[in-house]
Amino acid sequence: MISDKLKKVILEQLNLSDFDIKDETVASQVPGWDSLNHINIILAVEKDFGIKFKGIEILKAKNIGDLQKLIDSKIVN
Amino acid sequence: MFFPIDWQKFWGLFEYVPGDPLLFGSSLFLFSFFFVLVFYRLFAKSRAARIYLLILFSIFFYYKSSGLFFFILLASSLFNFYSGKFIFNAKTQSIKTLIFVVTIALNLGILGYFKYTNFILQILTDLNVGQFDPLNIFLPIGISFFTFKAMSYVIEIYLEMLEPTDSLRDFTLFVCFFANTQMGPIDRASNILPQIATERIVLSEDVGRALFLILCGLFKKFVIADYLALNFTDRVFDFPLRYTGVENHLAMYAFALQAYCDFSGYTDMAMGVALLFGYKLMDNFNKPFRANSVSDYWRRWHLSLSTWLLDFVFKPLQIKFRNMRMAGTSLAILVTFFIVGLWHGPNWTFIIFGLLHSIYLIIGLTTQKFRQNLWSKLGVSKYKFFRVIQVLFTFHLLCFTAVLFRSPSLEYTMNMFHQILNFYNAEVFRQFVVAYDEIVLLLIIGFGTHFLPKSWEVITENILIKTPMILQALILAGMIWLVIQVKSADMQPFIYFQF
Repeated sequence: MISDKLKKVILEQLNLSDFDIKDETVASQVPGWDSLNHINIILAVEKDFGIKFKGIEILKAKNIGDLQKLIDSKIVN
Repeated sequence: MFFPIDWQKFWGLFEYVPGDPLLFGSSLFLFSFFFVLVFYRLFAKSRAARIYLLILFSIFFYYKSSGLFFFILLASSLFNFYSGKFIFNAKTQSIKTLIFVVTIALNLGILGYFKYTNFILQILTDLNVGQFDPLNIFLPIGISFFTFKAMSYVIEIYLEMLEPTDSLRDFTLFVCFFANTQMGPIDRASNILPQIATERIVLSEDVGRALFLILCGLFKKFVIADYLALNFTDRVFDFPLRYTGVENHLAMYAFALQAYCDFSGYTDMAMGVALLFGYKLMDNFNKPFRANSVSDYWRRWHLSLSTWLLDFVFKPLQIKFRNMRMAGTSLAILVTFFIVGLWHGPNWTFIIFGLLHSIYLIIGLTTQKFRQNLWSKLGVSKYKFFRVIQVLFTFHLLCFTAVLFRSPSLEYTMNMFHQILNFYNAEVFRQFVVAYDEIVLLLIIGFGTHFLPKSWEVITENILIKTPMILQALILAGMIWLVIQVKSADMQPFIYFQF
């Protein structure tokens, strides 16, 4: 389940008012999520959640559900 | 005996002859391919027998181009198969990473030895580090293609996108498969291995589609690309100073078309041939000259390489440099396209080709927002003519790099542009059309068909699929006849063989 906080960060970075984001949603399905915005989203997530990703962790994430799980695991630890 | 056979000559056909690879469309290929296809049908009940048959034919196919260097292909299969297993089964992340790094380093080391040793020695000599004579190193055909293909398997396992296969036999076919070993597509293990692991059923639609692809490939390669090369582009590119600016200018366009028809013609044939065995290879092209920007072009040209580099080089670098934001992405583009250039070969022209593309892309990226705002203020985006201007502008940017790609050295590139800028007489256009009418016709056919609606292609393909088999065979025979009529010399090796 995608948290409201993550959804808010993504929508803010992409200048979207709303978009239905599910666990299985992939970047290419979200309007405006190009390679440059990808980096902006990752940086915004790191800043807003106060966490730091390893490069390989981001590469392994196949969809937004994986990104949520990664954030959750970082917050718990 | 009615048909005396010179057996010595017959067996000689199956021996390795340097510089005489087994090309799609050659009579020996068609002859041996026909027998393999017959046995493939006979072995319909045994998947294992079919796979071994394809492995054997693939090794023979590779042996014909590179002799005993087929051992490298087998060694690559064995090495990457076990590396994939070890990475997957490693207990800790650091051990995984260690095995991964060693595997990639060895793959690149072997590729580097064959491809770049003499280039490095030349640089060292030029820098006065010492006097190094070039070594006599044979370049196994397609080494960049099969090395990248095998590496994708290991990388996908490392990134947890794929689980390793238990079958060395299946993996060997993935690496050695004759259809895509020498010039790609650089198919991903995640696309091909599941196909090898399941029964291959060849439907009549597949045969029709395969025929369509083979016909397209034969036409593109042997009618357009080879004819343009032999009768026009090779002459101009080899001696640019002998020709006026007009001829140099048109040779630039002709080479862009030739390179596309040569490479995509091969890919069409590879896809068609693979489909006759029930395998669906990834497509490498999507009408690249329709691109309205350089970034759009890289989503249409040599897709198997561009997506490989996007996933396994650009994205990791971009994430690594993420704190630098736009500058980080630009740096990732620069490094990726430096590799694109180097991948094509040990020549400064290729390296500058890659760097030029990276400059195009970085300028495109940094001005993206400004351009979007400007087009929207001017309200031009909705007009078709605006798209036409964008496509033409992009095409000329690409032609500029295509000259570098084809030129034997930078001096030749400079000479071509010198002729275009200093000896341009529009009157020569008229003389050219009269003297080179066949070339002009091929340019019109080549570029014209490129811009036909996609639906026409689908309709033609569907008609061919529904055509009775006897008629399909006649159409194929007709195309082979056309190829023989057009062929003015021996078949030309594919441009991308050298990579």
